[in-house]
Amino acid sequence: MLTVILCIGPLARLDRRFLPLLYNRRHFGVMTVFVALTHAGYIVNWYFNFSHVDKFQAVLSSNLSFTQLIGFPFEILGIFSLLVLLFLSTTSHDFWMKFLTAPVWKRLHYLIYPAYAALVGHVALGILQDNHQPALMWFFAISSGTVIFLHLLVAFKETFSGDKETVMMDDWNRDDGDYWEAICKPEEIAEGFARVAKLSNGDRVAVFKHQGKLSAISNACAHQNGPLGEGKIIQCLVTCPWHGFQYDLTNGRSPAPFTEKVPTYNLVITNGTVRVNPQANPPGTFVEPLVVNTIDGQATL
Amino acid sequence: MISAETIIDFLGIWGTIGLITAVIFLTVGIDRIDDDARGAYVFRILLIPGIILIWPMVLLRWITLELGRDQPHSRHQPPRDAHLTVWAVLAVMIILVFSSAILFRSEVPTNFIPTKISSNTVVE
Repeated sequence: MLTVILCIGPLARLDRRFLPLLYNRRHFGVMTVFVALTHAGYIVNWYFNFSHVDKFQAVLSSNLSFTQLIGFPFEILGIFSLLVLLFLSTTSHDFWMKFLTAPVWKRLHYLIYPAYAALVGHVALGILQDNHQPALMWFFAISSGTVIFLHLLVAFKETFSGDKETVMMDDWNRDDGDYWEAICKPEEIAEGFARVAKLSNGDRVAVFKHQGKLSAISNACAHQNGPLGEGKIIQCLVTCPWHGFQYDLTNGRSPAPFTEKVPTYNLVITNGTVRVNPQANPPGTFVEPLVVNTIDGQATL
Repeated sequence: MISAETIIDFLGIWGTIGLITAVIFLTVGIDRIDDDARGAYVFRILLIPGIILIWPMVLLRWITLELGRDQPHSRHQPPRDAHLTVWAVLAVMIILVFSSAILFRSEVPTNFIPTKISSNTVVE
């Protein structure tokens, strides 16, 4: 179950047809926790219930051969994975994302990766030591291999051919000392789509063209920091491809009654280049869309 | 070395403090720092296990929000750059552990002939 869950993320990054699976990934994760708890409950009650000490103490103290690989106390690896899964499931409610902030929440939920590694160790040093059936071994080998392959593939793809970085240009600065970073030419942004760029301060900005006008908002959705620049525009509202949260392109606000907001950015076009002020406006700040007049393929202000 | 009993006791104390924190936060704190939670009560039950697990972080975050030290822009800076490094390390770890566990596991004896260890004693 965890293998399937961990494949959904990279598959959705590789092919948009997998995006709907993201909607139900958390529910599947919570279900996995109940399965893991049931497994742990059975094991503790079956193997440790009649120990001369408390059964939970017995789990922790029955095997302390931490210095050897074969015979390693694989139960500890399972306990670590279970604790991580419990933590992830109990903090999966959207309240936690808002309370902790999405970046902190995501960092904490990246614990699922070491938990998965520990789980592979739990299986390899546990059941696979006793059960020598080739089918079982290959099942786990292919499962973990698939997760590794998909994550490395996406990581390589995003590292080496991901969002383009902006170009720092000294040839045009405003009198008030603000500096602007070049994104691309206006005609390079297709109508109804966005160009995502990584700013020098590390932020990612999504510059949308809608009805011939340019607007820039943060590429990170307020909900789970999904990539807004890959979202569809529906009636001036961009829809996050991950969970469907919507934002007005001009002010970064979700339509009422929702209250989510994302930062907006100021844009200019100079010398035929779209430039963005990397200093983000406070979330929800209205910015007048930039009208692009295209004459013979050349954008002018 | 820390004994298993100490670990279990520590977890018990952690959980007790977490439960107290949950009661205080869900009755007093949450209304002060989250507009969306005001007037909504049933969902708060779902938050209890999470608060018990990470009560120090809950307290820290509560204080930050109470003091108005939250930085709204930081909500839009997702951690994405470490993905390749993390998975490169995990890939090596997983492959090493899995392959070592399979390569060095003890073989099941194939020429083992079971012997009957019970006697033919008739229990009267």
